[in-house]
Amino acid sequence: MIDMTLHPTPRWRGVVLAQIRIVGLVLKPAALVVAAVLSIGTVVIVGEIIGGGPGFDSSETFPTLLIGFLYPFAVWRNEKPFGPGLFWTFPVERRGLALAKVFAGFVWLMGALAVFVMWLLALGFLADAPPARTITRVPVTATAAMYLFGSALVLGLRHPLRWLLGAGGVLFLMNMLGNVVNRPENREWQYVPGSDAFLSVTRRAFAAWVTLPEPTQWAISTLLMFGGGFAALWAAASRHRDRRRHRNRHG
Amino acid sequence: MNARTESFAVATHGLSMRYGKQTALDAVDLRVPEGAVYVLIGANGAGKSSAMKALLNLERADEGRAEVFGLDTIEDGPRVRAQVGYIPEAWEQAHSWLTCGQLIRHVAAHYPAWDQAYAAQLVEIFGVRPERKTATLSKGESRRLQFVLALAHRPPLLLLDEPADGLDPVVRNRTLAHLAEHLADTPTTVIISTHHVHEVESLADHVGVLDAGRLVAQLSRDDLRRTVRRYRVEVPEGWEAPLELRTPTLRRSRGGREMQWTLIGEEHDVTARLTAAGATVRDVTPLALEEAVLAFLSEEVAP
Repeated sequence: MIDMTLHPTPRWRGVVLAQIRIVGLVLKPAALVVAAVLSIGTVVIVGEIIGGGPGFDSSETFPTLLIGFLYPFAVWRNEKPFGPGLFWTFPVERRGLALAKVFAGFVWLMGALAVFVMWLLALGFLADAPPARTITRVPVTATAAMYLFGSALVLGLRHPLRWLLGAGGVLFLMNMLGNVVNRPENREWQYVPGSDAFLSVTRRAFAAWVTLPEPTQWAISTLLMFGGGFAALWAAASRHRDRRRHRNRHG
Repeated sequence: MNARTESFAVATHGLSMRYGKQTALDAVDLRVPEGAVYVLIGANGAGKSSAMKALLNLERADEGRAEVFGLDTIEDGPRVRAQVGYIPEAWEQAHSWLTCGQLIRHVAAHYPAWDQAYAAQLVEIFGVRPERKTATLSKGESRRLQFVLALAHRPPLLLLDEPADGLDPVVRNRTLAHLAEHLADTPTTVIISTHHVHEVESLADHVGVLDAGRLVAQLSRDDLRRTVRRYRVEVPEGWEAPLELRTPTLRRSRGGREMQWTLIGEEHDVTARLTAAGATVRDVTPLALEEAVLAFLSEEVAP
């Protein structure tokens, strides 16, 4: 037995900052493309506004939910959550490291949404659109929750795209089945496996949520979606924790 | 941070790992003394890379456990990894969008012991160009970058998985010379996995031989040189080797009444046993490291 000095592990602050930096670098090419598209869009819309046209439709909601859900695939691009890559060799507790990366992605997502909302507000200002209505076009909270679910998917499943396609296929089939059982001639099948009730409740919750309804309903929906998102993310990140013994090829 | 550790830098206890029905490691008990340059030798698929990954908890064992400087690789995973500089066998372009400089800065952020000045020196020594995108690097250039990343925090343990793979002979010699310089400057335990023993022969002071996941030999280089020798013996007509001689036999060949044996054991013991069995020892030759190791891996063992 001898005494020796061991190297320390890094502080979490440094790890999180490093992840924010690296995710920023990962997203840079995509961000440049988006910036170019927005610049062109700005020129076109401003041109229309100056020319007296409507230029700016302030009633439609932007599909940021879908972006929030798929964005984790970009955050984890080439990182191999389930392979023995560089990421897992860092001297950091792995569940925490995975969550640090998710947080880094979240920071950039919120930043991007903030810039996008500012851009909309600026255009809305030019087009005399009321700011409150402009803001509701970007469902920030819902997008954040979708990001949590998307991150859970990427971190928790070895083949998230296959699961996604599979789940999409199942939902499509369920929807078709629901349409069949809801036909008047098929009334007796109405309560059989279809997902109608579930989908209807989900739709109502989403609608209530993204269109800023009365505060209590919004708060409950937010709480439920974030609770579910965090739970899914924690379970997914736990698959990578250090203290799992045996039988789980890492990472 | 101080910790009392065993005198072994790395110790594994019955480490077993399987991929489906294939056994990668079979109850492996590695013992790597502190400060040793331990060369883990074996054919492709013998389990060398799996053993290294198990030490970093990149692959989890099915049975057994491993310790690095007395720290359990699972219970103390982050602390273990803080002590390790790792060069994997395959370089995956996980960060192909980064320049070498950006990747070095990113890795540095995770190691408080990172030595900036030394990193800059290594960049110079290994001819890494910080502005180059990692995606554009050749295999050899990637290897050199990996050396910078692995050495710059002066880790107490280096895990080098086929480190000379992809390097041309000139760069390989230069790289190994730099590694030797690093070891002279920085107290380090090294595990090098390779199936090209000659490449690291000058560095090795301990050897472990893996064969189909089993650790078939583990000894210091001095012990290997002393105890694994070739015996040229003359035997009477129709002579059969006694059983006690067959067990430690690594290799044998026969030409008429003369036989050559590669045997394990102290020379005087082996000579005495051969003589007692009726053979006449004509010549005893020590083996070069590669020859001795190949003898362990030889399929000519059975008489």
